[in-house]
Amino acid sequence: MKDMIKVTLGLVVIFIAAGVIMGATYKMTSPVRYVAEQKEKEEALKEMAPEATDPIKAAGTWVSHEKTYEYYAATSNGKPVAYIATTAGKGYSSHILMLVSVNTDLKIRDMKILHHGETPGLGDQVEDRALFLDQFKGKSLPQLVLVKSETKENIQAISGATISSRAVTNGTKDAVQTLVEKYGAGLNAAAQGQETHHHEVKHEHK
Amino acid sequence: MSTNNTSYWTVFKNGVFGENPVFRLALSLCPAVAVTSGVKNGTLMGVAVLFVMVMVNATVSLIRNFINPKVRIPSYMFIIATWVTVTDLVMAAYARDVYKQMGLYIMLIVAFAIVLSRAEVFAMKNKLIPSIIDGAGMGMGFLLALALIGVFREFLGKGALWGFQILWADGKPVKPMLIAILPAGGFFAMGLIMGGLNWIDRRFFGGTGSGGGAH
Repeated sequence: MKDMIKVTLGLVVIFIAAGVIMGATYKMTSPVRYVAEQKEKEEALKEMAPEATDPIKAAGTWVSHEKTYEYYAATSNGKPVAYIATTAGKGYSSHILMLVSVNTDLKIRDMKILHHGETPGLGDQVEDRALFLDQFKGKSLPQLVLVKSETKENIQAISGATISSRAVTNGTKDAVQTLVEKYGAGLNAAAQGQETHHHEVKHEHK
Repeated sequence: MSTNNTSYWTVFKNGVFGENPVFRLALSLCPAVAVTSGVKNGTLMGVAVLFVMVMVNATVSLIRNFINPKVRIPSYMFIIATWVTVTDLVMAAYARDVYKQMGLYIMLIVAFAIVLSRAEVFAMKNKLIPSIIDGAGMGMGFLLALALIGVFREFLGKGALWGFQILWADGKPVKPMLIAILPAGGFFAMGLIMGGLNWIDRRFFGGTGSGGGAH
């Protein structure tokens, strides 16, 4: 009985000491971490539209797969230069969180992967600009179709990382779709002129 | 395992060569397969483990007379969890770039057999300085092992090292064996390197070439 109390007390002392150390570290690091994360987000937004002179502010939210994302309008002296949206796609082992920006003609101008938990060495190749991400630039909504063969018109999947490639493509498509709905009143006519591509979209999703 | 008449250098060398965590003790093979698809991932993981092992060994050694032997395993686990959490928090705040690369892996260190094993086998029975040296040696052995497997797998699987493409053909990156960076390739790489090192040990150093089973 006496031994039992001794053992318990010994453990309690260790646990309390550990708790104090962890708590103190959290208290010291969390403000620094918060500031760093805010700054990273601002920088990422800025990167999406470098010529915007006004601060980029959230214009509203949109919902995809039961999660809420934000979209932004980047303006320069009050005139819109780009529209940006956060979005995500379900990859192989994680949700891939992204920023997508489109020009005022609603063609993709740039994108950035903010966070993912894909397999190192395979799925994380979607972050590679030269290999994958840069092919999104200049594409319009109907062109956002993942294909496995070489293509200039659509998006080419990375061999060995098809699921991650599809996640990025579909997430981007959802974001561009939203931005088109919000801002593309005058541009819908142009998008409908590419009916053939719509056909391919359906084919790919089977 | 007394260190009264062995030098610190012997203790350190034991961790890197004699009882290399991956190739000799065959402990913590799970992370050794999981994070070695590239040299960079393997090395960063090794650095984090090295730090945690030194801190855990030092702490356990300092309070070894206070830890009741009946509850030593929960005590180790809590000490390990504390240091891993502290590492995670500090890196998330002050080393953002590195954290983005390896944040996923850090929390896994809590369950690494090698950290727990060194606390039990060494730090619990030795003074502070030798315990720190042992942690550093074992951590370094783990780091080098992960880096070596990483070199093997990244070169064969991607034709690259540390993220830089080395093999090219007609302006396109060459990937000699995609399987090398897949999980199965990790087991192949580890087995082949372990066998190779045992062969070298027997052939040139007259060792018995043991792989695991030491503890």
